[in-house]
Amino acid sequence: MDQQRPETSVVSSASFAPVNTPAPRSDFLKVDNFNFYYGKKQALYGINMEIPERQVTAFIGPSGCGKSTLLRNFNRMNELIDGVHHEGDILLNGRSIYDKAIEVIALRRSIGMVFQKSNPFPKSIYENIVYSLRIAGVNSRGILDESVERSLRGAALWEEVKDRLHDSALGLSGGQMQRLCIARAIANRPEVLLMDEPCSALDPIATAKVEDLIHELKKEFTIVIVTHNMQQATRCSDKTAFFYLGKLIEFDETQKIFTNPSEKQTEDYITGRFG
Amino acid sequence: MGSAHILSTFESALSEFRDNALMMASLTQRNFEHARQGLFERDEDWSNTVIADDEEVDTLEMQLDRQGIDLMVRFHPVASDLRTVVSTMKFSVNLERIADQCVNIARRSRKLTSRTPVPELVDLEAQYRFTGLMLDDAIRAFADNNVELARTLRERDRTLDMMNRDFAEKLTSLMPEKPDYIPSYMDLIFTARFLERIGDQAKNIGDDVIYAVSAEESRHPRRVEE
Repeated sequence: MDQQRPETSVVSSASFAPVNTPAPRSDFLKVDNFNFYYGKKQALYGINMEIPERQVTAFIGPSGCGKSTLLRNFNRMNELIDGVHHEGDILLNGRSIYDKAIEVIALRRSIGMVFQKSNPFPKSIYENIVYSLRIAGVNSRGILDESVERSLRGAALWEEVKDRLHDSALGLSGGQMQRLCIARAIANRPEVLLMDEPCSALDPIATAKVEDLIHELKKEFTIVIVTHNMQQATRCSDKTAFFYLGKLIEFDETQKIFTNPSEKQTEDYITGRFG
Repeated sequence: MGSAHILSTFESALSEFRDNALMMASLTQRNFEHARQGLFERDEDWSNTVIADDEEVDTLEMQLDRQGIDLMVRFHPVASDLRTVVSTMKFSVNLERIADQCVNIARRSRKLTSRTPVPELVDLEAQYRFTGLMLDDAIRAFADNNVELARTLRERDRTLDMMNRDFAEKLTSLMPEKPDYIPSYMDLIFTARFLERIGDQAKNIGDDVIYAVSAEESRHPRRVEE
């Protein structure tokens, strides 16, 4: 896959692209003493963590523990909700995502997101992929075609749809739609890919394809995945973070978390002894 | 391991799995005791019983294998549950090998019983008792998840190795002056060797208990340090 990112003049004046960093950063996405509030209700308490570059990090924990809230803070999606505020900082590649010089739109291109329920636009497969490029002002047919093929290949969907690129995306199967959404996210060549329970609505075969895809994508992207499926976390991720009641209880290598967690709360949760 | 699992079917399957492992352990202890009676009481019937009863242990080993695999397939255990399933499967393998050593002892006992008694047989009693206590404690450590008791087995295994070496050296030194006893001395040296192997397997059970309870790797300490 072509490693080149779009010209910064097309996408944004504020680029997050790393400056020739040969070794992956261990703190590519850094959360620094982060508190988050929905109005008066505090949802996250003093989160500190360093998410490594080009690895898969899984967030696990019971519903309402704050894992999706933190995920949505990474690309400032939570700011779309009234009355929210935060303390602390989140840094992408050493730079605060709250830096006033950074445009939120540019940030969301750098940190793409795939949701629980696939949400393709009611347009053709082709138009789904090029949508954000068109908004960014890219109209060259050659660039768009190249982007579509690269993104669909990257999402392991090209062979299945290459002969019907102009058919409606809504005619795809559930698994194909989710991979289309992944293709749409990587069309922007983000640095981080956030996935909020990306397989929860998929059958086992489609789930296996997405998991296989995650394994391929991590060669190029830093991936953070929220999942309720423990086996998925063990299969897909390099590191796992366990959240409970808005606190980060434990963050370690996935192998360590699932064979010998350090915290009793983690042990109780993953072995099903909770509550 | 602490409070009960939310999924009661897993809780009961795990409990049944461990119960069967403990049943296998008590059958192995019984075979060890019958082998002792066959050897020291020079009673061929006990030796034959040990050989016949080994099949029960083999059957239980296969059953525990199936149960362990079934637990992993159905419930995907993790953390302490995973360590419990894995160590219980290894416990069963060690027990099966101990039962095999009991059969080996019984076979040697039959040969010994068919010949003139040798006075040096009594010298093996202490070693037999020592090995039996190691086996009992290994099983107790497994049953009670007792890491402290499990930790004692490694040192005791070293003592058993020395007892075995001293015994073999003593009988070897006696062979030139008592050539008629050589076949029986060889059987006793082999029997002592089987006891030493049972000690090894008891130590292995101890290591697996330590891993199951604390996730600590106690095998091959020098290699772990490296």
